[in-house]
Order: sequence, then C-alpha cells, then structure tokens
Amino acid sequence: MGTGGIGIVRVSGPETKQIAHRLLGRHPEPRIAEYGSFRDEKNEPIDSGIALFFEGPNSYTGEDVLELHGHGGVVVQQLVCKRVLVLGARMAEPGEFTQRAYLNNRIDLAQAEAVADLINASSAEAVRASSRSLSGLFSKEVHTLDENILKVRTYVEAAIDFAEEDIDFLSDETLQIQVEATRAHLNSLLTRTREGAVLHQGLTVVIAGAPNVGKSSLLNALLNEDRAIVTEVAGTTRDTLSEKIHIHGMPVRLIDTAGLHESEDRIEEEGIARAQSAIQQADLILWVTEDHDVKHPSESPTTHLMVLNKCDLTSNKPGLVRDNTVRISALQKTGLKELRELVAQFAGHRVSDDAFAGRPRHISALEAVGQHLQKVEEFLASGMGELAAEELRQAHQQLGKIVGETSTEDLLGEIFSNFCVGK
Amino acid sequence: MGASTLLVTQSIETIGQMSCNPAIGGIGKTHLVREVDALGGAMALATDRSGIHFRTLNASKGPAVQALRAQTDRALYKAAIREIVEQQNGLRVFQDSVVDLDLVGDRVQNVLTRTGIRISARTVVLTTGTFLGGRIFIGHEQHEGGRAGDPPSNVLAQRLRALPFRVNRLKTGTPPRLDGRTVDYSQFEIQPGDGNNTVFSYIDSVHSHREQRPCHITHTNRTTHDIIRRSVEDSPMFSGAIEGIGPRYCPSIEDKVVRFAERSQHQIFVEPEGLNTTELYPNGISTSLPFNVQQEFVRSIRGFADAHITRPGYAIEYDFFDPRDLEPTLQTTQVENLFFAGQINGTTGYEEAAAQGLLAGLNASLQAADKSGWYPRRHEAYLGVLVDDLTSFGTNEPYRMFTSRAEFRLRLRQDNADQRLTPNGHELGLVSRERWQQFQQKYQTITAAKEQLQQTVIQPNDFRVPMLEQETGESISREVRLVDFIKRPRVTVRAIQRAGWLQDIDAKIAEQAAIDIKYEGYIARQDQEIKKAKSAEKMTIPVPFNYTEVNGLSTELRQKLSESQPKSMASAAKIQGMTPAALALLAIYVKRNREQRKIA
Repeated sequence: MGTGGIGIVRVSGPETKQIAHRLLGRHPEPRIAEYGSFRDEKNEPIDSGIALFFEGPNSYTGEDVLELHGHGGVVVQQLVCKRVLVLGARMAEPGEFTQRAYLNNRIDLAQAEAVADLINASSAEAVRASSRSLSGLFSKEVHTLDENILKVRTYVEAAIDFAEEDIDFLSDETLQIQVEATRAHLNSLLTRTREGAVLHQGLTVVIAGAPNVGKSSLLNALLNEDRAIVTEVAGTTRDTLSEKIHIHGMPVRLIDTAGLHESEDRIEEEGIARAQSAIQQADLILWVTEDHDVKHPSESPTTHLMVLNKCDLTSNKPGLVRDNTVRISALQKTGLKELRELVAQFAGHRVSDDAFAGRPRHISALEAVGQHLQKVEEFLASGMGELAAEELRQAHQQLGKIVGETSTEDLLGEIFSNFCVGK
Repeated sequence: MGASTLLVTQSIETIGQMSCNPAIGGIGKTHLVREVDALGGAMALATDRSGIHFRTLNASKGPAVQALRAQTDRALYKAAIREIVEQQNGLRVFQDSVVDLDLVGDRVQNVLTRTGIRISARTVVLTTGTFLGGRIFIGHEQHEGGRAGDPPSNVLAQRLRALPFRVNRLKTGTPPRLDGRTVDYSQFEIQPGDGNNTVFSYIDSVHSHREQRPCHITHTNRTTHDIIRRSVEDSPMFSGAIEGIGPRYCPSIEDKVVRFAERSQHQIFVEPEGLNTTELYPNGISTSLPFNVQQEFVRSIRGFADAHITRPGYAIEYDFFDPRDLEPTLQTTQVENLFFAGQINGTTGYEEAAAQGLLAGLNASLQAADKSGWYPRRHEAYLGVLVDDLTSFGTNEPYRMFTSRAEFRLRLRQDNADQRLTPNGHELGLVSRERWQQFQQKYQTITAAKEQLQQTVIQPNDFRVPMLEQETGESISREVRLVDFIKRPRVTVRAIQRAGWLQDIDAKIAEQAAIDIKYEGYIARQDQEIKKAKSAEKMTIPVPFNYTEVNGLSTELRQKLSESQPKSMASAAKIQGMTPAALALLAIYVKRNREQRKIA
C-alpha cells in the first residue's frame, strides 16, 4: 500500500459477493465499472470510486474478485481495507492473488513465464523495498522479538522433551518474567507500529483560539460550505462542531471549538470546557489568531500550526510565513492551499519520521502474537506447559510472516513473496 | 496381512537383543511405541511382559507430552519378542548372513547368504542396525564389529556401497556395564517406579507385569571430570579416529565434560539389567575412553568406589544411507522392491527402529501383493513426522524422536494412538480381530462418556459442590456444564469423580474423554493448518528436478534444493533459507516442467 493517484483494494474468494453487497449497498454487475461510494457499518461513505466485480472463474484468481478503485491516500485505503476485513476478509499473504491464480489454473505456460519474469524483476525491487522497510528500527525490534520468543520456546521445549534432566523451567519464575518482558516489548512495538501505520482513524485537527478570530469561518472555508454559524458576535460558537474533510486524500476530522476566554455565560463556559478537552485529544491544533494581533501563545508546541487570519484587513500577503505558520483570509479563501499543504506535511511527517511504518498485515500479525503471548503467560501460570508451547509456536509462526521466514506449516500460503506480481 | 515372510538373521539368539540400555519408551519415543502397538506391532506387548520399572515422565505436564518409560529385563524382553516372532503366522526364521543382493535392472531378484544360499523374494527389507561396516572403538583400540561380541556385515556393506545410494558414517556409544554386587546402593538416590498401574499396549492389562525394581541415581563429580579431562586425547572421538557424527542429545561423558566444562556434575541413572542378573547399566556415562581410564573414572563416582566393570564401554561407527533416497514408504528410490528400516536410515533408538520396521514391512507386503503403499502424515502420527523428516531433509546425526519435532503435538498423543491409527491398521490387515473389537468397544464408551459430560450440569447448590471445590480449588457460584468446567486448567476428571460425578464411567475412559475435550479448541485450530499443509503436499515436484533452470534462485538455495530434491512444495518450503519469493518461482517452474513433459 502506498500513496498514488488511485488506490486499489482487491478482494478474492467465495465470500466476495456478500462483502461487495454490504460495502456498496448493491450487488455489482460483473465486469461493469460503476461509480459509487464505499460504505462503513453505519452506511456512511468512507470513500467513493469505481467498483469492479469479476465473477469466478473468469477473474484473475479464478475466484469471485472485487476491485475497489478509490482515492490513493494511504489512510483512505486503510479504512477501506479495514472495512473489508470487518466484513469477513483477511489480509492477503504476500503474492497470494497470484498464488490463487496459479492454484486455480488461471496461469498457463506462457503466462507462467511472464509472471516468473515479473517476479524476477520485481524481486530486485522488492528486495530493495524490503531492505528499506526492514533495515530500520522496526526490523531490528521484530528480530529481537523473534529471538526472544525463540529463546522462550527453547526453554519450554527443552523442559518438555528433557523432563528427566534438571531443567524444568516451566515453573521457573525467570521464564515467566521473560515472557512478560517479551509481551511488554511487543506491546510497545505494536503501539508504535499502529501510530506509524498512519493514524487509522484519520487525523483529528482542532481549530482553537481566542473568540472571534474567525475559527468558524476557517472551518467553513475548509469545508467549502456554510456549516457553522458565523457572526461578528464573539462567542457565537458554544459547542464543538465536528466535520470530516479530506486533505490530499487523507481523512481529517476537523473540530471547531468555542473561543477560549474567561466567560460568565454558563453555556459558553461549558463550550470552552469542551474546547479544552477537544484540544487535548487533538493530533494537530490550528491555533487561529488575527493577523495584526501579536498575542501568540508563548510557545508553539510541535502539534500546533499557527494560522494568522484576516490578512485581508492587514494587506499582508497570504501564504506560508514560517515552517509552522501560515497567513490566510478565511473570508476571501486565500492561503488555504498552503494551510492544507502544512496539515498534509504534518501528517506525512508523523508517518515518515516514524521508523515503525508498519503495514496492516504487520499490525495484524503483531496483534496475533500478542494474543498468543498472553495465553502463554496464563498457561505457564497454571502449569500447562504443552499449551504454552503451542501458543508460542503459533506466536512464532505469526512473527515469521513479518520477518519473511517460511514457517514449516504454512506452505503454499507463504508462496509468492512480498510483491504484488499482479497481472 | 497374509504375506509369506522369511526373517534372515546372523543369529536367532539375538532376535530381540537390546544393544543399548534396557529401557523402552520416553518422551516422544513412547508415542512411537503406542503407534506401533495401535498398528498391531510387538514392542509394547514385549515391554509390558518384561518391564521391571514403569514411570510416567512429564506427569505434571499435559497429557500430550506425558510419556511412559519402562526399564526392562533384557532377557525377558528378548524372550517375549522371540515368542511373538515364533507365533506369528506366515513368518519363518532362518539363521545366516546376507552378503549380497542380485539385482536385475532396478529390482532385487534374490538375496545371497554367506553359505551361498540364494533366496528369492518379491520384496526385500534391510535392517542392518549398526552392523554395516561396523567398527568398535575403545581408546586407541579398534576392531570390526556390529555390536560387542557380534561380527559386522562387511561384505554386504561393500556390496551396498557399490549401489547408487549416498552413504555416510554415524557413531553411537555405550557405557561400561557394572557388576551390581560391587556397587554401594546406600550411596544412591532411589528412584522407584510408579507402581503397577500403567501398560504400554492398548490391549494389555497390568496383569502382564513382572516383579518391579527401583532405579537409582548417582552423579559424576569434579574428580571424575578431572580424570576424564586428563585423558580426553585418548578418546577416539577427540583423536580424530572416528569420523562419524554422534548425537548431540546423547553425548559421551567425555563430550559432556568438555562441552559443559562449567558443570560440576552429571546425572547417572543406575538401571537394573534384569531380575535374574546383578549387572547394571549406568546410563549417562557412555564412553570410548581406554579401559583403564573407564575404570578409574567409574570408581571416582559416588557408590562406584569398588565397582567392577563387566563389559567396557565403547563407541561404534557404522554406515548409513541417506534417507532422502527413500520414499515415505521406506522403499528405496533406486531399487523399487528394496526397503530400508532402522539405523541404516540414520536413526537411533529401539522405538524409531520398531516404527520404521513396521512401516517398511507393511509396505513391502503391500507391494508384494501389488497394492499401493501406505504411510501416515505428519498430523496423523509421530511415525509420519519421522518418515517425513527423514525423507525430506535427511539427517546428519543419529535421528531421534522428540515431541518438539511434531507441530501437531497436541493431537499426536500417546493416549490416542489407537484412535489415530488402529482403523488404518484394521484396513491394512495388521490388527487382530480381538484388538479391533476391543478398540471399537473402547471408543463407543468414550463417545458415551463425552456425551454424558456434555449433558451434565453442575448446580451450585448440589451437595457435592463443596467437595468438588475443595478437590479442584475452583469455586462454583452458578450452574456450569461439566464439559466447560473440565476445560479449566486445574480441573481433573479424577477430582470430578472423587467429588461424586461420573461415577459410572471407568476412570480411564473418563480421562480419555476429558483429554479430548480439553484440547478440542486447539485441535480445531490445527485442522486449519493441516488443510493448508495438505494442499502444499499435493503439489508434487518431480524427482530429480533440474534447479539450475530456475532463474532467480540464489546459488545457495539452488544447491540446497538440488541436494535435497524435495518431493513436494511442502517439503521445499521447509528447507532452511527458503523465501516466499523462491517458492513462488519454484511453483511456476515446476508447473512449466510438468506441462512440457506432457507435450513431450
């Protein structure tokens, strides 16, 4: 998954039809490109685009296939993926579509040659790509985790297979401690990976500032519609207002808040309290001031973007002022492009700066490892060594999916590697 | 199975001879013994009749990894095996040495004996043990031998080396045996057996048991280690006289002392050789040091100060054939009616040998009757794991079974080998009518017991609840089905029975039902894995396959694949360093190869 103009999510398998129906709200016609929205569980659109349905065996994989051509943003794609997963799909193993095509006799001799060449070609690229993504801290930590699980397994297996030696570690406290430490390490890795996987829910951006600096006007300007009531009366916004917009294909939850000041109006007071709690939960705060106003917050934390509004009144030129400061006119809708850029940059910064740019399949594997390790702890505590061993084996197998090692059991499933050979 | 079979042996007296320690079973190994039994084999029956010390290992761990182990009386074991052999319909015994095979094309026509007799057979099974090119080492002394006191099979070894099999050398060893009258038992820790409550065979009862004897435990010490360290250069293992590779898990005492220098002692199990002999088998000090050194270090051990060595310890090196040249039926790939079983395939252990003997024998018999072969898969039996490991990856040390080799360990239990295999045994004609009837009856009662567990609900106000809570340490505050209650870790079926439930069910049957229920969830999960593995197994790779034509494989992988020639994508996936990309490529080239052959 990466950023591109169009993002394609492909679903293959016997349940594709049901998934399509629930996602699109209709039964798609085979081989007809239809534009529509992809819906979440509340029937609200996640994204819109073209849905293409191929009925098996006349599809790439030989099974029912649904292709969703939506917006290319990473977060949008992840949301669509996530929705499809909830509807009963699972993340494809690397190259699994081609694998299925192969198993279902969809590739003949000539095509097989072509695909082999493709694999050869993309293999080099994949090696480069994976050495990039796996040479970082993420890879290092996953390998450490792998080693630690191996170590624990060694102990547990030895205790089982060599019961007559003096090595019954199963009731040993150090083993418990080691499992706990491994799990703690996993959890922190998982947290960082989740963060890195581009903010599942999209970015939460809060518009804050003193009363009457034009926060609601900014919301409207970004929304391109008169959603919030705007008057020149300070304190018009009493409650927080939340709206979804897309910035460069990335979903953003935009929250307009009541202006922060001392107020004796009970309703406004409540609005201010809500504003403060929204600010605390924000990924990013657009701190709005009037352009002529010199009252900036004494420090501007990294989660703040300074927005100098009403530049139409100062005749300063709208646009970027500093790294984290932009001058705009919400009224005249100027400087908004630069503001959008800044927000996107901020999101991108958070992603690329984090070495743990894990992919959804990394996260789901790590989550599974975590569940297994939790069971390991329980079983060790209750003296059920053979079940602890089984959970460890499964944990190891899950981890093997990330580090790319082939597990003994998952045979064809690991066939075809970390590249989408595609057609 | 009705085959007419001739057993040719160097010496009828040595049928059932235990060359190594007088014990059967152990973790992973008992699983094999029970599987052999479930398929109508002799080992469990002979052990029940000759066992003088039974112990359940891993008793505190779950049933999937528990294992019975028995010390046997060597003489009784041999007698029991001899009796079973002699009473086997269709089996005849002939004493002679096989020295040659008459090959016509890729078939054995006859075997030729030392006395010049030609015996023809539709199929031939070779079980040469450590006798092929066997060489015995004690210190700097070395001589040819198949086992202490028995000559090796050198002519046959030379003959087989001329065939297109890959040959290599392995090594194993034994400790010196001691005269029990010269050791001081008061210096040992005693290790009693579990008493008379367990048997190996599914069709035996404890009534087959003989008188029971305890084992003893003593340890080496720093003095012992000093003596050994001083003389290590005299061990053929270290002097380089032995090229064969010994097992890592069963090292000689000199190996242990050198490799684990930080340890101040090593455990020795003092095992009785039998009821009517004073000879002892000190398990844990296998050695090939010179005799005088053996004597010196033995006498430094607690309880052995005056010990008399009755037979010196020795190392033995022998030929084995690369098991990758075998089908999983144990038929050789080069000679279609020749089968190999036991140490000739690189394994060690009585149990591993027995399992292979059974498999090779039944397949030789199937082939002789023009039927297709049979072997269990990895998820069906340890025997399946064994042949898959051997024929897919070969081995570079004597191969021994461990439960950790079996990824489906939770289903491959020693308690359910009959459930897993007796129906196959019945179909193949391996299982007696009595065994089959007993089996069917047992599983009917288990099914009924499971049903009862499903139906029974524990009410919190039941008068038996306080007792149950006390027995299990679990509290019961609302009604709970017995089937759910039993899944709790601390709950045993025995406790439930003691508290007053399920009292009309035989304890063993209840236990079996409970084990099945406890592992239910895991087994369901493994079913998914098995399904995947099966589809990979179905994708066969022709042997030999030309891996040089697969563009894009690394040189290292290409070499590994060429060497091991995996027979399926499943086996290929297990090769070390195999990447998903490489497998993808391979899949395509295999398919291409197949289609090209179709055209040709």
